[in-house]
Amino acid sequence: MASGIKDKVAIVGMGCSKFGERWDCGPEELILEAFDEAINDAPVERNQIEMAWLGLFFQEQSAGKSALPLSISLRLPNIPVTRVENMCATGTEALRGAVYAVAAGACDVAMAVGVEKLKDTGYPGLPERSKGTFDDLWLPNSTAPGAFAQLATAYSEKHKKNPKDLKRAMAHVSVKSHANGVLNPKAHLRKEITEDQAMNAPMVSAPLGLYDCCGVSDGAACAIVMSIDKAKELGLKNFVVVKAMQLAPSNGLEMSNSSWDGSYLLTTRIASERAYKEAGIKNPEKEIHLTEVHDCFSITELVVMEDLGLCGEGGGVNAVLDGKFDKDGKIPCQIDGGLKCFGHPIGASGLRMTYEIYNQLLGRAGERQLNAPSVGLTHNLGGHPFRNVASVSIFGLI
Amino acid sequence: MSYGILDLAPYVPPMRLERSEIYAAIGWAVPSLKGLATGERAIANWDEDAITMGFEAARTCLSAVQKPPSRITFASTTFPFADRSNSGIICSALDMPSSVRNEDVFGSRRAAVSALVRHFETKADGLLVASDCRDAKPGSAQEMNYGHGAAAVLLGKGRVKAEIIAASSIHDDLVDQYRSRGNRFDYALEERWVREEGWLKTVPQAIENVINEAKISTENLDKIIVHGSSGASRSIAKKFGISQEKVANNLYSSVGDLGTAHPLLMLAEAVKHSNTGDFILMVGFGQGADVVLLKRTKEKLTNDWDFESNRRVVKNYTQYLSLRDMIAIDFGLRAERDNRTALSAFYRKNKEITGMLGGRCTKCNTLQFPKSLICVKCGASHSQEFESLANMIGRIKSFTEDWLAYTPFPPYIYGNVEFEGEANIMLEFADFGPGEVKVGGHVRLVFRIKDYDNKRDFRRYFWKPAPS
Repeated sequence: MASGIKDKVAIVGMGCSKFGERWDCGPEELILEAFDEAINDAPVERNQIEMAWLGLFFQEQSAGKSALPLSISLRLPNIPVTRVENMCATGTEALRGAVYAVAAGACDVAMAVGVEKLKDTGYPGLPERSKGTFDDLWLPNSTAPGAFAQLATAYSEKHKKNPKDLKRAMAHVSVKSHANGVLNPKAHLRKEITEDQAMNAPMVSAPLGLYDCCGVSDGAACAIVMSIDKAKELGLKNFVVVKAMQLAPSNGLEMSNSSWDGSYLLTTRIASERAYKEAGIKNPEKEIHLTEVHDCFSITELVVMEDLGLCGEGGGVNAVLDGKFDKDGKIPCQIDGGLKCFGHPIGASGLRMTYEIYNQLLGRAGERQLNAPSVGLTHNLGGHPFRNVASVSIFGLI
Repeated sequence: MSYGILDLAPYVPPMRLERSEIYAAIGWAVPSLKGLATGERAIANWDEDAITMGFEAARTCLSAVQKPPSRITFASTTFPFADRSNSGIICSALDMPSSVRNEDVFGSRRAAVSALVRHFETKADGLLVASDCRDAKPGSAQEMNYGHGAAAVLLGKGRVKAEIIAASSIHDDLVDQYRSRGNRFDYALEERWVREEGWLKTVPQAIENVINEAKISTENLDKIIVHGSSGASRSIAKKFGISQEKVANNLYSSVGDLGTAHPLLMLAEAVKHSNTGDFILMVGFGQGADVVLLKRTKEKLTNDWDFESNRRVVKNYTQYLSLRDMIAIDFGLRAERDNRTALSAFYRKNKEITGMLGGRCTKCNTLQFPKSLICVKCGASHSQEFESLANMIGRIKSFTEDWLAYTPFPPYIYGNVEFEGEANIMLEFADFGPGEVKVGGHVRLVFRIKDYDNKRDFRRYFWKPAPS
């Protein structure tokens, strides 16, 4: 009988590059920056890493396909490297690969690296991509803001929320994340904004204005994991433990059947339910101390709070405006500044979120440090509300 | 049994350009345009062409018809494809059985009337579609006069709305205007010469042939349809002593000259506004003439139309030039996307993409698009049968006005549309402007150009929700 991933794998070292418009860096520099920090943090030498996973989404735009970008950048000693891609959950998928390898006993020490070099495309925003030979024939050539804007319209419709009130709550989400980002030297955007600025910013995709959208940036993050037994064997006392890693991709229901009304993220609900079960969490509102969620857009974060069960369905607007997810709120969200301030180098984001949880749980988050949290959650949502891949991971202490 | 017109329908795109906008923008260079700068003309949106407009007319024409026509003939001088059956695309969009014969006819503005005469001669039944999307050189008289649009007539024996009594054709290589292969714009000659040597010589000869064959006199005519300028139609009427009120409105002031489609457009209007027993004479002109005499029957018209419904006005001349791809606005790097079509994948999914056929699960009755191998609701395998969504009314569930995504007519509007309360499809919208889409609003599907592949000079079509 399978018992899940809880308490089998330790994260013993992490690194994260400075995120931003890294005009002077290619993917290899970003990888090395994250790796150097992680290997210095970890109680192992680089030649003790036995397997690695690389998360990279837009291979055409940056480093290319396969294991090679990682293996060559770090001159790894020909260890197995697997490149994974699962849209915005890519970074978390790299970590899941490494964690599962260790849990399976295939190796003692494994590494996950996520990287994305987005600022070589020559324009702001995400590059265009093919959706596949058939879908290109009929699906709109939508953008991410356009797809997520519809989450806002459907949410307003379903919960009979005045669009203005919803817009104010969305503004609060962004104001909060910007305030958090100011304290984070690795964040791309480190500037406070006001609610008025967010409310009155130029429209990108109605009702999402400029400050409702996360930025596009370059970045990399890295995690080194080992089995709990190995960590104990090395005499480690202070390490973070994987409690759950769950993934739920759409099966097409949302986009082809009206049983989904467009106002929530079905896969996030499914993945979080499974993750709570795997981690043994009965009451997430009480047991989760902080979250790093996929705030690609302000509306996404608001809706995700409901889908993760951190507030009641339809209660997102009030919970956000009441400050429940602020730095000093009951369950702080995006304490590092989130995608909002880090931008979203796709392959790196999941690991960047894990990096913040890791530092918070170990009490090493500097000015951002919360009061002794012991359980943190990360969430990614790859794709669009109507068709996506959701991941929910939970980390704690031993 | 009478032979003639069983059904008919025009299509005029909802977009209009006021001619004064043309003059305001270009009068500095061509002051003589002032005399033409009255009224407005119909403009095909960036995602419309002769095929999509022709399809819309064909669909309306066949809306009350149960049995597919045995042939579909498509007339135009602006087919998007020189080698790929344009009528074949219309057949697929209409979801016609593969046994329906199809043919493209072209080469002259009278191609549609010529084809109608050919049908009449053999009493052939079939759908005749005419559509033109002629663009004109900025500053030309054609730019003022032309319009974009289509019309379709269903021909055959039975309870016809208008019986065809007689027809006559004459060829005469009077080059009043021409467009050489590979050229986009027409080259037109002096109007006075064309009127005197063409309209007033060739056309009267053909009219006389028809009148003689029908053994009536021109006094018996109740309506004459002349698709040329008002000057041409007035002169012809005068020549035969026909009173001016019998000259059909050429619709130039409201929609413009639709080229190949214009005689059928005027015919549709004439039949709509005529009485039982009226004699209607239709002229097709262009390097010769085709003249057809029809008699209105007592049968009521099946279809109705209103050229003003969902009307939108193009903001200014620059916008019109851009929508018609005559000025290269810098739409940014997103406009550089490579839209190569995998034609083998397209062929596999032709019914879905061109026919707008979804799948209905035979186990749980759930409708879905696209049709899939495994039912989205009950999970049954290979249980779905094709079902058309083309004529269903959809309900908007969510939408966005996207100012980031590339479209020739920003914002890019798209959203989730629900059909029959269960099938949910994310679709790009057509003919809506900012602020015009509402959640809960109803839409109908129109067949439009989805993407252009400028690199390979290809265009692909799909369906879009439009104002219902």
